[in-house]
Amino acid sequence: MTGCGGSSSEGDGGGGGSTAEAGTFTYLGQNENTTIVDTLETLAGDQCSTENEAAKFTPDAIPGATWDQQLQLLAGQEGLSDFGMAAGTPSLMKQFIESGQVQDISTELEEMGIEDKILPAAASTIQALHGTDKLYALPTEFNIEGFWYNKQLLEDNGITPPETWDELVDAAAKLQAAGIQPFSASGEQGWPVTRLVGNYLMRDLGPDALQKVAEGEAKLTDPEYVKAADEVAALGQAGYFGDAPTSIDYDTSLNLFMTGKAAFLYMGSWATTAFNDEAQNKIGVDNVGFFSFPDVDGGKGSSDQVPANVGIPTMFSSKGFDDSTKAWMECIVNNYGDTVLKDSGVVSGFKVENPPADLPETTKLVQEQIANAPSSVLWFEALMTSQATTVSQSNGGGLANGSVSGEQFMKLVQDANQG
Amino acid sequence: MSTAQSTTAPLTRKSSLTPARDSRRARRIKRILSRLPLDIVIVLLLIAVIYPIIWLVLSSFKSQSEFLNAPFWSLPSSWSPTNYTMAFVDGGLGRFILNSVIVVFPSLAVILVLGTAAGFVLEVMVWKGRAAVLLTFLAGVMVPAQMILLPLFTIYFRLHLTGTLWPLFFTYIGIGMPLTVFMMATFFRAIPRELFEAATIDGASIFRLFWQVGLPLVRNALFTIGLVQFFFLWNDLLISLTFTNSQGLRTIQAGLLNFTGQYGAVQYGPTFAGIAVSVLGTLIIYLFLNQQIMKGLTAGSVKG
Amino acid sequence: MNKVLGDRRAIFLLLGPALLVYSLVMLVPIFWSMGYTAFDGGILTGFTFVGFGNFLKFFNDPTALNATWFTLRYALILTVLQVGFGYLLALLYTFRIKHASSFIRTIIFFPVVLPTVGVGLLFQKLFEAAPTTGPVNGLLNFLGFPSVDWFGYPEQSFWVIILLDLWRSMGFYAILLYAGLVDIPEELLESARIDGASGWRLVRSIVVPLSLPVLLSSLIFSINGTLKVFDTIVALTNGGPGNSTTPLTLYMFQTSFAYGEYGYGSTIATVLTILCLLVTILIFRSTRRDLTKG
Repeated sequence: MTGCGGSSSEGDGGGGGSTAEAGTFTYLGQNENTTIVDTLETLAGDQCSTENEAAKFTPDAIPGATWDQQLQLLAGQEGLSDFGMAAGTPSLMKQFIESGQVQDISTELEEMGIEDKILPAAASTIQALHGTDKLYALPTEFNIEGFWYNKQLLEDNGITPPETWDELVDAAAKLQAAGIQPFSASGEQGWPVTRLVGNYLMRDLGPDALQKVAEGEAKLTDPEYVKAADEVAALGQAGYFGDAPTSIDYDTSLNLFMTGKAAFLYMGSWATTAFNDEAQNKIGVDNVGFFSFPDVDGGKGSSDQVPANVGIPTMFSSKGFDDSTKAWMECIVNNYGDTVLKDSGVVSGFKVENPPADLPETTKLVQEQIANAPSSVLWFEALMTSQATTVSQSNGGGLANGSVSGEQFMKLVQDANQG
Repeated sequence: MSTAQSTTAPLTRKSSLTPARDSRRARRIKRILSRLPLDIVIVLLLIAVIYPIIWLVLSSFKSQSEFLNAPFWSLPSSWSPTNYTMAFVDGGLGRFILNSVIVVFPSLAVILVLGTAAGFVLEVMVWKGRAAVLLTFLAGVMVPAQMILLPLFTIYFRLHLTGTLWPLFFTYIGIGMPLTVFMMATFFRAIPRELFEAATIDGASIFRLFWQVGLPLVRNALFTIGLVQFFFLWNDLLISLTFTNSQGLRTIQAGLLNFTGQYGAVQYGPTFAGIAVSVLGTLIIYLFLNQQIMKGLTAGSVKG
Repeated sequence: MNKVLGDRRAIFLLLGPALLVYSLVMLVPIFWSMGYTAFDGGILTGFTFVGFGNFLKFFNDPTALNATWFTLRYALILTVLQVGFGYLLALLYTFRIKHASSFIRTIIFFPVVLPTVGVGLLFQKLFEAAPTTGPVNGLLNFLGFPSVDWFGYPEQSFWVIILLDLWRSMGFYAILLYAGLVDIPEELLESARIDGASGWRLVRSIVVPLSLPVLLSSLIFSINGTLKVFDTIVALTNGGPGNSTTPLTLYMFQTSFAYGEYGYGSTIATVLTILCLLVTILIFRSTRRDLTKG
């Protein structure tokens, strides 16, 4: 308020224990994400040291399990930290935006003349997510999603990377017949399965398929929508996700793929960190291939519309957005992309000025894909209410083990999305 | 399952023997035989409890890949304490344990002192309205803890207590109170009233009555409830997660979540190391309290 | 005598602090939250008055009704099992294995000490079906049955949760009830034995009536605990598959803090509280009848 420090001393909820005197730049993140906080620490000691002297970088973290609950409680008390990871569900983020808790940074970026430092694809993903044409968060992470495949297994069975959904289904049948589990997916998490439904919809009905549902022009229970869920349920009924996919957790699903026990893995590009780790990846990093989610015959969408996400982006609270925070923002936007790629191998939504020379193959592949993709699409639940998101993901396992039909699934999600 | 029948069977069978006709030796054999099914049940029960615990400890030595790829019953390939160092050094487990100790023991002491006193007043003393107050406490047992989170968060925030361990301390006391009061009242009820009445006739004051007559008689119960509350507080996750919004304040249970990564990844080794340490700590407490209870029991039987 | 036992100052001093803390930490927030049941909305979106609208919504919300049914079924089955097994164990400790009892008591009690996170992981591994076969399915396969996907279907998941909680709490209730049983004077039992009562009859005519207060407390404690089950389910199934193992507490937590509908969340909590109240009254009523009969 007086412009002398990052955070007002009142409460300082995000800062937790620190009795915030003037001159702190508080950051609150999820325990689970160490990349952002590590990168910011590096910046504070290097490129942003001037900003850090004016307002000291003060990070804190809480477990992701209660992330949305804590953010809500803090926001309810006007106690959000200056900078921090955004709400886990986009619909909660919309509530923050509507109640004026979160700062619109598009004008500031323009004034500083650095709006082009943010990749257009990343910016549009965030905007679509929050349902505005303003920017309310920074893309500290930018991922593309698609199928990773075991080159050796496909070659052994005479399969080329599928370009259409039907080819993918045929390939799965062939692999299954050869005694190889076609897909590895965590039914416990649910989302790796529901993503397939969403992507099928975009390929079949066009990239605006889920936008229409969000606006009430179409329903998930319409026959052309149910078809997508039916297609995925059919994979489950055929046993292509292996035995008991509902009890496969995230680690196990990656591990199945990386130990050569499954041929395809639908996953985001963040998994390249695991693929590049020899201790985990037993099939060898050269053996990992990638293809975009395939086309659907006669569909309105196309496979160059890459499913993308920004992980959990980072936001500035309106309350803490004073001069020293603005200075920090400028420094972050200018330097974050290079630093995080160099130090952690994470691809962010910032423009990279000096790409490091020794990037691993998989990371390069991801960067190329991002650069060449003309447009991106959001995931299945991106525009849904939190309740529908929960319902969808908790029923994803049911699709994968064939116990839930496409029609049942879509009805459950549609009902939850209306409430 | 079958435990129900087999534990009761020997009881009845024993009584149907006609001792006079059996020789001593035959009787002993029959006695052993009649106890056999019971002993088997006990042994099975012990295995069902001990084996999983051993598994938890063994798991704390396994690597991530062993945990994911090796079968359930396989032994860890090495006994290196890597997971433990990771849990303590990278995970900051020591701090979490300290926080748990700092907040759990004082709350526990306050709960027991206040709860016992209240139980005494509500059951032994005679006054109007005690039934109503007892019911008010009982109502607290019925309310789900999730319901008090938002208002309490608001209160603590406004009082500037957020960012300290005080919210946990107060919440633990409040939430432990209903059950303690209710259980203590139950135990005081089991004591014959004549004991108190006799003491008052001897001219004892009410505080002496509480301290020297009432308290020794419920000593046992006090330790039992202490045990119950200790494990409730020590294993609490919901309250701890809600009121400690900072790394440095985390308790051990919330700290165990520290080994979870983004997108649902879990570092199993350090998680199990944390679990093993937490379990070891509680085991020590338990053995100590259990000894106290046993002392109380023997003291009681000598008197009786 | 009544002067001493009715000393007002003593009542105030001994009861006051407990009542004060309890009121501030529990009663005030409870009524505060109950106030929200008449409102729609959340902390961020603001509240609008809807009167009894939330309660109407509850009874027309299939998810809420499913959660209610799950909660009731789970609580009743688990209470019967855990108090039942606990009582049998307590009888065992008191009358059959007096000497080794301390050791066995400690061991069987132990699972309750384990962190929920750990127990969740443990049972997920115990009942694992794929990619590696867990011990339970291993046993099934050994006996010639196919593996069961325990967490893939509602009914199977339900019983795994029950088993987990029983495994965890049995020894705990045994200790709780044991504390009541050891207080039964030996002379009473001796005189009953001389009268010819033994075995089951001794238990039924002497032990059960004398331990009834503790048994009653345990029942009330158990039913109220199980109706409010939260931790174990979050750790084991997180309410799935679908919402088939979602209890009211978890639904309330999701509604209030993930969906941002605090008013409706409070309503769910209030319904749960009423449920607890009704069941508790029911237990009191039925045992009182038994007492008068005996």
